[in-house]
Amino acid sequence: RPAGRGMAAAAFERRVLRRAAEHHYLRVRLELPDGGARPSAAQFKQLVVTALRELHGEVGAALPVDVLTYEEKTLSAILRVISSGLVKLWSALTLLGFYQNRRCAFRVLQTSPFLLALSGNSRELVL
Amino acid sequence: MVRFKNRYVLCEVVSEDPRCRQCIEDRALGLAVRDAIARVHGDYGLACCSISFTVKYLNAYTGTVLLRCRKDSYRLLCSALPFVRHLESRAQRYPCCLNTLHVGGTIRTCQKFLIQYNRTQLLRLLQNCTNEEERQCIQKSLLSCSLTEEQSQSGDEEEDDGTE
Repeated sequence: RPAGRGMAAAAFERRVLRRAAEHHYLRVRLELPDGGARPSAAQFKQLVVTALRELHGEVGAALPVDVLTYEEKTLSAILRVISSGLVKLWSALTLLGFYQNRRCAFRVLQTSPFLLALSGNSRELVL
Repeated sequence: MVRFKNRYVLCEVVSEDPRCRQCIEDRALGLAVRDAIARVHGDYGLACCSISFTVKYLNAYTGTVLLRCRKDSYRLLCSALPFVRHLESRAQRYPCCLNTLHVGGTIRTCQKFLIQYNRTQLLRLLQNCTNEEERQCIQKSLLSCSLTEEQSQSGDEEEDDGTE
């Protein structure tokens, strides 16, 4: 809302947008304690979609999830999901227990509506 | 003051196979609907909708079904109903589909709607009659379901089942 006075003073306007980001980004790591062959990028995405399908059915599996980056060595990835689907994705990742009959677990390291925020992690800060 | 609110979904079973009628029973239908919810909404949806899920009323002649579920999950249920494609019972499966007619908060509102709907359906059947004896049949049943002053009959205004 512009300030009351006149044209000489600069108009001050403040806008607050709530929940305006349309995507949420998650940095996740897959843990396979029993070892074995590591999934490729396509298999990783298949795993995520399978987790969604088990917990949330066909509607969940149709959620637009993207794997932005994937490192096979560390099994960590950055996922992007539409903001309304964050709860479904996170709960599905939490409840996934098995990958090809081996035990597995997803650890969510960081999450943010801005991709840039995933670049720094204060937990791994070395002081 | 704080009570569990339910939603009652009124649907009708539409099938091309006339033998599907004998297959319409509450357990078969309940299983078919639950199976559809599990496919479409997964474990979470199935658990959510199963909290207070029952088939409250079933009419095999007209194919009318009344389902009950919690108010928080009736949208999950309604969105899964188009995915019910067959009814299975006694090792027979017949293709069918469920049309949602009305969603109400109480059984009474659903009953009121059903009475109104059946009235219009009977009139429409009368108009679409091709055969003269079918026409006589429907006219007779229309005239017979009216309020009577007798003490013995209950005198409901509900629809007369049977002729379709």
